[in-house]
Amino acid sequence: MADQPTPLERFIQGILPENPVYRQLLGLCPTLAVTNSMKAAVTMAAAVAFVLLCANMVTSLIRNLLKPHLRIVVFTLTIATFVTIADRLLAAYMYQMSKTLGPYIPLIIVNCLIICRCEVCASKQPVFTAISDAAGQSLGYGLALASVAGVREILGTGMFFGFRVLPATWPDWAVMVLPPGAFITLGLLLGAVNWYSGRGAK
Amino acid sequence: MNYFIDIMLIAIGAALINNFIFYYFVGICPFIGVSRNVDMAFGMGCAVTFVMSIAAFVSWTITSLVLIPGAPISSYIGAFFMTAENAQKIDLTILSYIIYIFVIASSVQFVEMYVRKFFPSLYKSFGVFLPLITTNCAILFACLTIMSHVSGVENPADAWDLGRALSLAFFGGVGFTIAIVVMAGIREELDLCDIPKPFKGAAITLVVGGILAFAFMGFTGVNSGLRKALTFDEPAAQVEQDESAKDRGSQGRINEMPAELVAGEKVLKLNARTSVR
Amino acid sequence: MAETDKDPAEKKNRFQNNYILQAWLCISLALIFGISLAAVQAALGPVIIENKLNETKEKVPELLLGGEAADKMAASKQAFKITPRSIAVEKNGIKKFYSVFEARFEDGRLGGWVTKVDGQGYADKIELLLGLDPSIETITGLFILDQKETPGLGNKIIETKWRGQFAGKSTRDHLKVVKGGAKVANEIDAVTGATISSDSVVTIINKTITDLRQPLKDAGRMKKE
Repeated sequence: MADQPTPLERFIQGILPENPVYRQLLGLCPTLAVTNSMKAAVTMAAAVAFVLLCANMVTSLIRNLLKPHLRIVVFTLTIATFVTIADRLLAAYMYQMSKTLGPYIPLIIVNCLIICRCEVCASKQPVFTAISDAAGQSLGYGLALASVAGVREILGTGMFFGFRVLPATWPDWAVMVLPPGAFITLGLLLGAVNWYSGRGAK
Repeated sequence: MNYFIDIMLIAIGAALINNFIFYYFVGICPFIGVSRNVDMAFGMGCAVTFVMSIAAFVSWTITSLVLIPGAPISSYIGAFFMTAENAQKIDLTILSYIIYIFVIASSVQFVEMYVRKFFPSLYKSFGVFLPLITTNCAILFACLTIMSHVSGVENPADAWDLGRALSLAFFGGVGFTIAIVVMAGIREELDLCDIPKPFKGAAITLVVGGILAFAFMGFTGVNSGLRKALTFDEPAAQVEQDESAKDRGSQGRINEMPAELVAGEKVLKLNARTSVR
Repeated sequence: MAETDKDPAEKKNRFQNNYILQAWLCISLALIFGISLAAVQAALGPVIIENKLNETKEKVPELLLGGEAADKMAASKQAFKITPRSIAVEKNGIKKFYSVFEARFEDGRLGGWVTKVDGQGYADKIELLLGLDPSIETITGLFILDQKETPGLGNKIIETKWRGQFAGKSTRDHLKVVKGGAKVANEIDAVTGATISSDSVVTIINKTITDLRQPLKDAGRMKKE
């Protein structure tokens, strides 16, 4: 038990060394789907952060009470409840964004990232560690989404967060906002991150 | 006839045009993880199709009979506790996501038991991937799409019936299988190529997936073309405003029934029967 | 030392192995989640329904009067009284429901109708709002609510410039899409490179007007207060 990472270490680990998208390859569905624009990507990252934090907290609080066989059922119930709450909050206070994100908010329920963190970390660690782990992972996830969305939005529409960044003469790479662009962007960025991490290891 | 055309359009839409992997980006995890050889990919695709159909069937039934306002079971039970009119308004759709995920988990459990009993070799080759189908976005996505066409429509007459729901789920699974098998075939060849080290594994799979997505984009517009070719929906009776000038005999006449204005209700029901040539 | 170590672990095991306590834990969790969901539904449900209606309602002045007149109306603190209605039209034995919004000025005069319709576009469904004057003789405006057409091509149907062609068109003849500039009154210039998307929009509009012309005229006549 002595060589478990401290809460701070967990927080920092989640950002790049154990980045959910680039290193663990979890939660790829929303990474491809909502990264059309920065606004949507940031909203999705915020929703995932909310669900991850709450689910980790609840799981950590009841970790000693729960029989191991019932783990998955209770995790699923918790995550589904928080996702429903997040979905309704979004529909009530950011209606247009909720329409843009569409069915991808409920899909957070089956986002491997959240179940994985609950299983690996929150069900074994005290509350504060679980919270810092959740915070680190959501920050890493947000950065991953933002990186893909930034590339796609700037190259695809010349805008960033709705503000024009490239001159108006830029011919918009329409493919970037379409499905093929999502795949290729993520693939190339993943290759780049792999190369960078591999270089350090040499 | 119209119904059959509708089903066919939904099927082609779900399988090819709006392919679950290449258009909606659901089911990416098995797409990258399982598509290493064709046999396993095909088995995975079949399993996903099977689970999707079962899950769609059960979730459509529960949504239509229990969750939406005015559903038979909820209003029947509600009538014991409140007036019948209020019971019609009971809206349980807030519980949809929880119910869907439990339906999916149960379906996967059921399929796992079935496969273990009747196809033991297949069960062994699947290993841990069979329970992992629960976290496959594609199945929940199919249930959510059905939900949006049942409880998300503005008037109940447009709600999808069981046939359309099953058609979407089954052919969505077929599209998923097509995508994953094509990818597996390509990856079997890729294994023999000289790929730069950073790109080995997921990165090159995603790039190749992008090229495949390009290919599938070629299907855009097939739906609208097919619909135009198949539906014999006469665009309009070109009836002019001043009918006194033209005498069309028994054709092209608009018969109006008097309108019923139900006091206090916001629904204006007018039946305009247009008999078209 | 060993005994005190065993105690909390043993307590934990006993709790976990006691099925009744586990059942109670699950039930209480389910109750807590259920109550919080019910609270969320009660608090946010009406807000969401309101949001959905407002999506259409806030476009009504612009659709019926045009941009500048709508701004003037808002500046003078006047507003339309908007009532949502549902109109059933039966064609060839199939009943189709149209969702229309009736807009009246503050003095009770009928300002016009706005209907929300959808239809098949090139890539997917196109959802649009169509504004009609009280006598259903002219189209007053068009707004595209939702579309998934090709970005850069079919996407251009949402632009104000293209939509502006529809304002003032007469509903007497069907609208037709032409390439290279509209010359006759009932022609609409297609978006360059997106003829099918333009055609889909025009088809939806034509069908709506044909179906709703008589019912809306009657509704306007009948509700004379």
